[in-house]
Amino acid sequence: METRPRKILSIDLTKKEYEVKSFEDLNSYIGGVGLGFKLMEMYYDKNPLIFAVGPLNGLFPFASKTAVVINNDGVIEDVYLGGSISLRIRYAGLDAIVIHGTSQEKTILDITNAGVSFKDPSEDPEALGLPGKRSVIKVDGSKILLGGYFTTPEHYLEKEFTDKNISGIVVTGTELINIKDFDKYEDLYKKILNRKDELSVLEGTYPSVLLHSLVACQYADRIYTDVGVVFSCLNALGYNYTHEDIENLPKLIEQTLRRIS
Amino acid sequence: MPKILKISFPEKCVGCEMCAIEAQRQLRKIGLEGALIRVFRNTNSKLGNIEYALEIDPRISSLNVDKIQKICPKGVFEVEETD
Repeated sequence: METRPRKILSIDLTKKEYEVKSFEDLNSYIGGVGLGFKLMEMYYDKNPLIFAVGPLNGLFPFASKTAVVINNDGVIEDVYLGGSISLRIRYAGLDAIVIHGTSQEKTILDITNAGVSFKDPSEDPEALGLPGKRSVIKVDGSKILLGGYFTTPEHYLEKEFTDKNISGIVVTGTELINIKDFDKYEDLYKKILNRKDELSVLEGTYPSVLLHSLVACQYADRIYTDVGVVFSCLNALGYNYTHEDIENLPKLIEQTLRRIS
Repeated sequence: MPKILKISFPEKCVGCEMCAIEAQRQLRKIGLEGALIRVFRNTNSKLGNIEYALEIDPRISSLNVDKIQKICPKGVFEVEETD
């Protein structure tokens, strides 16, 4: 994998249209939250709902959360969704999904790789996409749940789904990712997996905090706040970032957030 | 002696897909296309009682099944040696 432009699936609910856009200039926003904030700035006037992942999502242990960025009545909120959706977005070959506008009638978004079908709400979201390769976000009682379990705080997803007339989102990823130096990647993968004792969670408490799995995220701060580790991971994947690019990221995110707050 | 990967405790599965990803990695693949282990969520299960079903392709025996068994955080699998 070479350093490549960020691939964004933009879905216009009002027109029932979609397109995949590649942005070379988003490369400096390395992680999911930074990318999400920048996309919020770019799509601000369209009141977007953004799902964004970073370059390590789906590829390295303990990096599995999806950054969900929304405009909550003028306050930009970033919340983090567990479960398998970051894997699906990664395996769909995407870095982010931006959903904007409002559907005239209730709709289910059936996303497979870079394609979107706008389905009637009478369809069962669990019957869409490909079994074993999909994540389903749908109404479950009074909540919006991913995989029947994961949700966001403060009912943010419920509000977004209501405002945009969305009944469900199904994401299926069927792409295979090429890694230039697979041996180096695998070696690093195992080294990080073996650092499970550094996670700040107890083993086997919840699906979202299982040790020895791809799901730990903020509990893996001790691993992924080490710039050297992040740099090595990116390097193993073929990205050409410098240490300075990674060190400058917090400032870049802060500046972006300030412009949209 | 050939080894067989058995799904002995499917009720313990939490759907993390580490097994499927490990099997793919042994094939030097990143992604789930053509995966030899597939993990399905049981959509009939009630909230708070999420269940998963697993399917294993017999070709899994050509891989290092011990590694797959060990990577599961919940101990879903057992490895059996056959004659």
